[in-house]
Amino acid sequence: MSYDLNELNEMIEELSRGPRSHAILSKALSVCKDSLLGLSRSGVTIRVKIKANCLRTALENIYKEHDLYFRTMSASDERLREGLIKLYYVFGIDSEGTNIVFEVPVTDGVKVDTISDLFRASDWYELEAHDLVGVEFNGRALRRLVLPDDWPEELYPLRKDVSMDEIKKLYQPQVVSRISELGVEEVVRIPVGPYHPALHEPEYFELYVRGEKVVDARYVGFMVHRGIEKLAESMKYDQVPFLAERICGICGFVHSTSYVQAVEDALGIEVPERAHFIRSIVLEVERLHSHLLWLGVALHLLGYDTGFMHAWRIREKVMVLAELLTGSRKTYGIDLVGGVKKDIDKDKIPKIRETLNQLKKEFKEFVDVATSVPQVRARLTGTGILPRGEARAYSLVGPTARGSGLARDVRKDYTYAAYHYVNFKVPVYTEGDNLARTLVRIDEVFESISIIEQLIDMLPSGPIKAERWEPQPMRLGIGSVEAPRGEVIHVVITDLYGPYRWRVRAPTYQNLQAVPIMLKGVDLADAPLTIASIDPCFSCTDRALIINLKSGNIKTLPLEVISRRRWKDG
Amino acid sequence: MVKFLKMLSISVREGTATRKYPFESPLVTPEFRGKIEVDPVKCVGCGACTRICPPKALTISYEGDEATLKYFVGKCIFCGMCAYVCPQKAITVSREFELATWELGDLYNEVVHTTVKCGICGKSFTTVKLIKEVERRIENKVPEDLLEVCPECRKKLTARKIGSKVVGVSGE
Repeated sequence: MSYDLNELNEMIEELSRGPRSHAILSKALSVCKDSLLGLSRSGVTIRVKIKANCLRTALENIYKEHDLYFRTMSASDERLREGLIKLYYVFGIDSEGTNIVFEVPVTDGVKVDTISDLFRASDWYELEAHDLVGVEFNGRALRRLVLPDDWPEELYPLRKDVSMDEIKKLYQPQVVSRISELGVEEVVRIPVGPYHPALHEPEYFELYVRGEKVVDARYVGFMVHRGIEKLAESMKYDQVPFLAERICGICGFVHSTSYVQAVEDALGIEVPERAHFIRSIVLEVERLHSHLLWLGVALHLLGYDTGFMHAWRIREKVMVLAELLTGSRKTYGIDLVGGVKKDIDKDKIPKIRETLNQLKKEFKEFVDVATSVPQVRARLTGTGILPRGEARAYSLVGPTARGSGLARDVRKDYTYAAYHYVNFKVPVYTEGDNLARTLVRIDEVFESISIIEQLIDMLPSGPIKAERWEPQPMRLGIGSVEAPRGEVIHVVITDLYGPYRWRVRAPTYQNLQAVPIMLKGVDLADAPLTIASIDPCFSCTDRALIINLKSGNIKTLPLEVISRRRWKDG
Repeated sequence: MVKFLKMLSISVREGTATRKYPFESPLVTPEFRGKIEVDPVKCVGCGACTRICPPKALTISYEGDEATLKYFVGKCIFCGMCAYVCPQKAITVSREFELATWELGDLYNEVVHTTVKCGICGKSFTTVKLIKEVERRIENKVPEDLLEVCPECRKKLTARKIGSKVVGVSGE
């Protein structure tokens, strides 16, 4: 199929949501009219089906647009349905709240041109699509990102013809042979690696230092990839929220909300207003506890443990409030497709107000003191600088972006739940250092308190869940939520009983790729705080390898020790 | 300049933040979701909870004349979905959270149901209580001869009936 220019312009005119999407679509598609396979729109999402050979050309024309950023990419094995694998590139136009999805069919043996030099954030996405679904990319080096080194070649776990049992069996022979070697009946493998066995999000950084200055950094991750996306393909619609909530131990509710929003978007489910309000209230409660947690950890890394203890003392009130509202301190478990399963009763409103008032007072008193501690101030100021241009080039999200002058906030830009009913500011600082990211979070605590107060004042009555909804196969839906650490975005392709493909993108996936930039030039002692400044669910016993460029010495030390030690040249 | 010393006065005012658990109680709010309880009287063994349970902590298995609904606390994520979907309101969410034990058996709870045998093939296919509950809910509108027939045999039976009505031949 090919379009003539007039026809194409008319279609773009009809589908655009505003001048920005019109301009961007026109620029991208004018050069690709012969490779265009379809154009459509549903809600805020414009879908462009385009041949693989023209994807790069189209994006080359638009990658410099200031308000366009790369949100996520999902590779989906649809060979059983449509005979091929598809890539879904999701871009966002911040100023308009529009999603542009480039849907790229990839036939067997075809290589897709890389876009990792245009949109630097897409680097990991391409590697992951190569690892898990077996998509080949042109014009870049492909290495393993997610799968372990000893994973067999050409076995792509997210393909539909690879079963869960097959994946489990892969490691069985090793375990069985080890059992007979040991002469015991049963063996449980407990991997203990470069991460804390009790905390999630293990990280491994290699810092290259000259004297006391970090000159380069390398990150290795994905050591405990859990295959959650694959697991969800065997679960039912209403079971997945509980799995989604366990992606993160700190901000789990953002994942379950993103997932249900994606399904609701795909199937056009009307969610009752009251459910939207309840979701927003609980999301903000989660942000409060998360920011207080982060602030505590950051102060702890600076050696100011008094501040750490007080931050967590204040946080405890939020945890109790969360339990009162949802039934649990964490993993709230109230999200269902079409609404929520627990109401906020009238008699709880006074308790919410009381807690928020206390919180406001105590938090203000606490941050005033904590941020005036000379050592804290000195070590936050001017360290871990991330320039605005880099933040934009890497499509960064959350407080990390907002600390570098990029006012990106999903609650405002791609509004969801009940956020369009409330007034709130998006705190932005332009310095791009650790202090800026800290101040963004501190300001956000006050904004969150105000958001919850407004929401409980306006809480509408009515049902909390859509009465019925019908699943339909192969619909695409996008759900995004502003998590405490940045934007979470889920892409769901539906099936009859549960998701056919579920792509999760957590904020750290985006932000971690920019950490090496922040680290260049910082003092070694400030490296841990700089890594923690993107709020990556940081586990305190992470280990780093220090390679001294002069002497060639290699040491391995817990990050906490680095942050408290004095380093001499040489 | 010495503003940070103000933290001392806050510490004095707040005192000790930790609580003397387990000597002080309770630590949880009235809304807390803990271990679930299955009422063996109300439960009819329909298995709705086993189909929704995300971690498969609830299972139902058929053996001989018995169907056993098993709840394994060790796998439970305390989401309360079982109580949410139970059509008989037989499942309640308790506030119990002190579940550590030396005995693995303590982590299992079972409700045993008697099963019904199919009037045609003789296989057990559901519980006696579920059949009674279905009968009650639809007020005896299902013909007696169909109620105690397993889904497989019912399919064959219906096909045969339609066959004899439409074509006028017996499926025998």
